[in-house]
Formats: sequence, structure tokens, C-alpha cells
Amino acid sequence: MSSDTTSLDAAPASGEVPARHRFGYAALALLLAGIVLGAGIGLVVPRFRTPADDSVEAGFLRDMSTHHAQAVEMAMEAHADSITPAIVTLSADIATTQQAQIGYMQAWLRDWDLSPTGGEQPMAWMPDAAGSVVDGLMPGMATPEQLASLRKATGKDLDVQFLTLMRAHHLGGIHMAQEAENLSDNKDVDWLADSMVTAQQGEIQLIDDLLKQAQSG
Amino acid sequence: MSTPGPERVPSTVKVGKTTGQGKPPTGKPGANRPNATKPGGKGRKPIAPVKVAGGRNWGPIAVAGLVVVIAGGIIGYGVYASVQGSRDWTDKVAEIQGVVNYRAQKNALIDDRTHKAGPLTYVTSPPVGGAHNQTWQNCQGDVYTAPIANEHAVHSLEHGAVWITYKQGLAADQVATLQKKVEGKDYMLMSPYAGLDKNVSVQVWGYQLKTDDVNDSRIDTFISAARVKASMEPGAACSSGNTTSDPVSAAVSDGASSDTGS
Repeated sequence: MSSDTTSLDAAPASGEVPARHRFGYAALALLLAGIVLGAGIGLVVPRFRTPADDSVEAGFLRDMSTHHAQAVEMAMEAHADSITPAIVTLSADIATTQQAQIGYMQAWLRDWDLSPTGGEQPMAWMPDAAGSVVDGLMPGMATPEQLASLRKATGKDLDVQFLTLMRAHHLGGIHMAQEAENLSDNKDVDWLADSMVTAQQGEIQLIDDLLKQAQSG
Repeated sequence: MSTPGPERVPSTVKVGKTTGQGKPPTGKPGANRPNATKPGGKGRKPIAPVKVAGGRNWGPIAVAGLVVVIAGGIIGYGVYASVQGSRDWTDKVAEIQGVVNYRAQKNALIDDRTHKAGPLTYVTSPPVGGAHNQTWQNCQGDVYTAPIANEHAVHSLEHGAVWITYKQGLAADQVATLQKKVEGKDYMLMSPYAGLDKNVSVQVWGYQLKTDDVNDSRIDTFISAARVKASMEPGAACSSGNTTSDPVSAAVSDGASSDTGS
């Protein structure tokens, strides 16, 4: 059947040197065992290196996701109803940026095999923050009454309410992000927290300017 | 396949698949692997039964065996740890007694995720899924004191929210207990529900837990297992939703804007 085989040169015939073979099998077994061992270590070690369920990182990402979500909510109100171009732009900037940051934070929790939500009280990851949560609201968050008022407001009234609420919201958020940066040594979390601090401090300056204009105009 | 005409000369067979474009295959599949035989010989010499001289060399075998056992243990632990850590949320929900799994029922009316205007009817009370209004109910820890439209609330479930409903007229202190679970938490909303058959019904998309006790620990277990995880649209928000308690209008397009304040 193999009449058309090529006439390449012969390989050494097999099964002639049992001693060398036994050595070969042992080496192969060791190699396989090494691969298996390496894979095992690779599988286990990352679990010790990603933040745990009760870590500062997990607590911060969960709480900041909720905190951000309210900023998005207020910014969307202002974006829809304000007639001041600078506020329409600012609120779009806040809403899109913070919603995207929520995506980062939720994705990291997912990468770490952690739940997107936690069983602890808000701010439990932050030392000495127990008293800062009022009616479930983290520092800087607007109350349901303030949100209801914002939804009803129009014109200059809307601008002033939005800027005032967002200013307080940013201050609370900056404080949390700074604490997370201090407490965490996860470089992704530190990077995002640092960007929040910088961006929101910059926005507070803009908010102050716009507040002055709104109140004088 | 087979080539007609004169016999092909085997020396033209190319090993591997690099070239050979345009040339019909010249042999049967598998015939072009290099073969070590000289013409005339049969494929292989019959392998002489290998007599293993003396006893087996047990040393290396024992070492390798031990290594494999240790490696197996480590892998086993690794797999166990990841399986535990990433156990699916649906498994956690399945362990909660009394939670009804409507996703498993494959009911087309419940699985329907289309947007429809106007009042809609639902298979369960309160609903756990189905066609819904294009506007979702705001679910940023919102506590509604009057019944809200199913059509909006179902859309919130689709976004991953937990909707706590309670029997209308439930004692204020019990309502306050439920409120504590909701306020300040996004992907949560609560409202009274007309004609509820139990004091409390908690639902996410496709799952429902009913109980008469507001302190039932299963409520918290259910919330922490399913909140956000139950989302049919990962990343979909709870902000910018409808914030009123008004029923949806029968109009062609509801379009109830969230922020009219009316």
C-alpha cells in the first residue's frame, strides 16, 4: 500500500535501547509533572493576589459605583433641562465620565470574581467613616428630597441647585477616592482614584465659577 | 481524487502542505509522510518483545509519582477555590428556599424583553419579567410610597434592579425595615403593591421570593446574591428613569419623561 513512499533516510529503529528509554520516560514524566505543577501554581496564585471580598479595594469600587450613579443621575437632569450651555456641557462631561468609570469598577470586581454589590454597610472599608452614612447615603450624596426638588427646578434655579448639589457630591467623592488611594496598593484602583481626585477638583473650580455667574446673572 | 493516466512517480511527492498548488494529490492521504523504509522491506521490523532486564527502576517512578500527586493536590485546590469564588449567582439563589425560578419555566411571556407602549398584563403578580415600557422606573434606592406602574418596574428588573414590593397598608415600622434595605443603594427600589398575597414580595428578573416576615433573612440573602447580577443588560443604569407613581397612559407612545416633575 505504501508504494509511493518517499525514500528519505531511515530513522534509527525503535525499541533497541531500553535503558535509555526508561530514563526518557522518567524525564518526560518529570516534565509533565512540572508543567502540571506550574499550571497549578498559576491557577492558585492569582487568587491570593487579587483583592478579597472584604478588602478596601472591593468596598471602594462598590461604594464609588453607587456614589457615581447618583452623580450621573443629577448630571442627566441638568443636561436635559438646563438652558445654560456651559452647564449642559459640564453635565454631559460628568455623566459620561462617571458612567464609564462605573464600568471600570464593575469590570474589576468581575475580574476578581467578586460580587458587584457587598453585604457590608456603605463606607465599611473606610476607617472612622461609620458616622458619615446618613439614611444609607454616603458623604456628599443628595437626599431624595433634594433630588425631587432638582427634578422640578427650571432655569436659574435648576442651575444653582445642580451646581450646589454636584459641588457637595464631588467633595464627598474626592474624600473617598483620596482615602482609597491611601489605603490601597492596587495600582489600577490607585490610578482610577487618583484620576477622580484630579478631575473632580478641577470641576469644582469650574462649578464655583458657574455658581457665581448663575447667582449674579 | 485518484489520478488517471500513467503511474505517478513517487519522487514528486512533497512532504507537508507548503506547495503543491495546482498539482493533484498524488497519493492516498497519509501516504506522504516520510517513511523510513527501504524499498522492498515491509514497514517495520517486527518489534522484538522487549525484555526488561532486572527489576523496574522504582526510584524515578516514585519521585515522579509523588510530584504528580502534589501537583494534583495543588490543582485540585486551585479549581476548588476558583469554583467557590466564581460560583454563579444563580446557584446561590437556587439555594434560597422559597425563591421561585421563573427563568427555568421558559415562559415566552415572562422571557419577552420587547418594549411596548401602553398598559400591559403580566403572568405573575407582581411581575418578574415580560414586555415592558421603554422607560424604566428610577431604581437608585428609590422608595416609592404609592404603587408604581408594572410596565416601568419590569424594565428596572431587566436592568438588574431588585424590586421590593409590600402589601398596601403594611405597618409603618415594617415598611421602615424594608426601606433600610433600599435607601442609598442603587439597583434597588421599593413600592407598595395592590392585592399582594403576602406581606412582602421581592423580585429580580425571572426570580421571586414571597414572605410574610419583613425580617426574613432570605430577603437579604436574595438581594445580595441577585442585585445587579440579575441584569439582562450588563451596565444598563438605574438613573434617568421614571420617578413618578403614575400608571402608564394608554396613548400610542408613553414616552413618560423622567424629569417632567408632573
